[in-house]
Amino acid sequence: MPIFKAGFSGHAVKFSPFFETRLVVASAQNFGIIGNGRIQVIDIDPATGSIVELCAFDTADGVYDCAWSEAHESLLVSAVADGHVKLWDTALPPNSNPVCSFKEHGREVHSADWNPVRRDSFLTSSWDDTIKLWAVDRPASIRTFREHTYCVYTAAWSPRHADVFASASGDCTVRVWDVREPTSKLTLSAHDLEILSCDWNKYDQCCLATASIDKSIGIWDIRNTRMPMNRLEGHSFAVRKIKFSPHRPNVLVSCSYDMTVCMWDYQAEDSLLARYDHHTEFVGGIDMSVLVEGMLASTGWDELVYVWQHGTDPRA
Amino acid sequence: MDRAINRQRVLLQHLAPSSESSQIVSSSICAAGDSAAYERSASFGDDVVIVAAYRTPLCKSKRGGFKDTLPDDLLATVLKAVLDTSKIDPSEVGDIVVGTVLARGSQRASECRMAAFYAGFPETVPLRTVNRQCSSGLQAVADVVAAIRAGFYDIGIGAGLESMTADPMAWDGSINPKTHIFSQAQDCLLPMGITSENVAHRFGVSREEQDQAAVESHRKAAAATAAGRFKDEIIPVKTKIVDPKTGEEKEVTISVDDGIRPGTSLSGLAKLKPAFKKDGTTTAGNSSQVTDGAGAVLLMKRSVAVKKGLPILGVFRSFAAVGVDPAVMGVGPAVAIPAAVKSAGLQLDDIDLFEINEAFASQFVYCAKKLELDPSKINVNGGAIALGHPLGATGARCVATLLHEMKRRGRDCRFGVVSMCIGTGMGAAAVFERGDAVDQLTNVKGF
Repeated sequence: MPIFKAGFSGHAVKFSPFFETRLVVASAQNFGIIGNGRIQVIDIDPATGSIVELCAFDTADGVYDCAWSEAHESLLVSAVADGHVKLWDTALPPNSNPVCSFKEHGREVHSADWNPVRRDSFLTSSWDDTIKLWAVDRPASIRTFREHTYCVYTAAWSPRHADVFASASGDCTVRVWDVREPTSKLTLSAHDLEILSCDWNKYDQCCLATASIDKSIGIWDIRNTRMPMNRLEGHSFAVRKIKFSPHRPNVLVSCSYDMTVCMWDYQAEDSLLARYDHHTEFVGGIDMSVLVEGMLASTGWDELVYVWQHGTDPRA
Repeated sequence: MDRAINRQRVLLQHLAPSSESSQIVSSSICAAGDSAAYERSASFGDDVVIVAAYRTPLCKSKRGGFKDTLPDDLLATVLKAVLDTSKIDPSEVGDIVVGTVLARGSQRASECRMAAFYAGFPETVPLRTVNRQCSSGLQAVADVVAAIRAGFYDIGIGAGLESMTADPMAWDGSINPKTHIFSQAQDCLLPMGITSENVAHRFGVSREEQDQAAVESHRKAAAATAAGRFKDEIIPVKTKIVDPKTGEEKEVTISVDDGIRPGTSLSGLAKLKPAFKKDGTTTAGNSSQVTDGAGAVLLMKRSVAVKKGLPILGVFRSFAAVGVDPAVMGVGPAVAIPAAVKSAGLQLDDIDLFEINEAFASQFVYCAKKLELDPSKINVNGGAIALGHPLGATGARCVATLLHEMKRRGRDCRFGVVSMCIGTGMGAAAVFERGDAVDQLTNVKGF
């Protein structure tokens, strides 16, 4: 399958929910520590199988994450390291972009997630310990969620509840929130060390996965916060991101500072289904296509973006 | 620039969460691939592999779950477990070797032979005991490996047994007056606690370091128990327990270790008085517990395991027993581990996991520091300070704990070491490799 050279170190890659061949890549110069950032929208040419860049937007600081709008095919939001949240319209020329730019977060914005149920709002989480709720048609954020005591690395909407989301933080907790409520509804001390990512099972509204720098992935039933349903061990460094499969209820994919991408079935006895070691640097982003079953994408600090079918060699 | 430094700090925390050093740049890990010093050995049919390793729960002697359990019943439970899970024909077992320390030699040998009958072995399967003090369980496993390699038989069981309830530590009879001339012989008579004080004093291991190690041991063991990480290795024991007040007998099934104190804290441990020396640092809280338990390891030639379709839990790579000064017997692992690792053709960096017996926190801390081991690789599920140290069984227990943890960790955890110090001044260590770490098809010579 095709490989794309991003030019900067890759921090996130996301499949478009509208076009099965389209992806967006968020990247940053110098590993996101200092320098510029870039958002690249790429398309797989079905005839040749190669990847072409549709458009690219440059930012003044590294881009740590991005998310496609669930409502409009050309709209996407990006999380920029200088604290900006920027909206881009790929149908408009570069000089009309970004279509919106919000500067509210005090530190690096680390994740963005579009509400998949209501489709009118999105979340961003930041190293300023907060999560913010936004809507495209508002001039400022709707709400700020302040309870975490350290960097919030991920905020992820529930795939079932329009108002529920989970947040993963370096304060070693995951919190579950309902935007209609004043405070978080649940605190999960999911790991002994910082938690970098979380995601909801698309088939079980109570099932949440957490990924930590303790190298493990926890699978939780949020009705029982005392003990995880399962703990997946196999990564040899911090687990950077996790994502549940949109097609198979027990399957999730993870990427790690150990430079590998792993696919897991948390209910199988041998839970590690596959390990891909195609990256030669930290793997920053991972996604699974909603439109094509088994289609995976990953990007890493080796500046490469891979798109491949599960079970095949990404480098082939 | 501050912003860049802060970003580096956040990211470095992701990579080295335990280090609290303020350094901004750390050495990078090479992405060049598998450049380790060892040769990628092919998996040959004559490797000796472990297909099953189990243990009983470890219970406090005289007060714990096995206070009214006969030693041979403990051994029979684990012997039966390796038969039941592997479903091998018991008559194919070439020998059973049991490490056991405190009981009278001949009586214990008879008890173990009887235990084999309880477990369902036929009369044709022989059994013997071995005593290398605290490493007896590991020595039993190593002896079976050696015999299989020598071609004496293809399938054997290495086991360990200790009931410190039934057989407390004691010295019978008089002492040879000649010991006065041989100072090292005299040092063999030192109580173990005094040798711990000697280690702490000679190598400058502070009370705080020892108590900290004890807190860690309890914390990790409690976490492992809570997460169910011992479930795969523990065989529940059906036994009876007698109420000390009423004398009433009750049938019970013991399935968890009962020595772990999850609430152990530095401040709590600091209150304890030294147990062996007035101004000493070794306390009841930072020493291993006195414990009952048993373990058994089923070993066979790889070709036999493959033929039977049995899962290969691990490969026994090397073993070393060494001698050290009896007055500081606790330093044993610091000498034995490098010897065993070298004889496996590896370097210390290649080892992904260690089970080092915590006879005393003093010697455990010293050995880890002396070898400059990464603390996150040692006794990840706690050690003898929390779980207990049933002398003869400890070796087999550590093998079970190590191999099950390696299995859980997956392919990134390829090599593991079990080691312990030995009273009268010795150390033993063995190197294990994960069973499926070597893929038979991709390791054709010259590939």
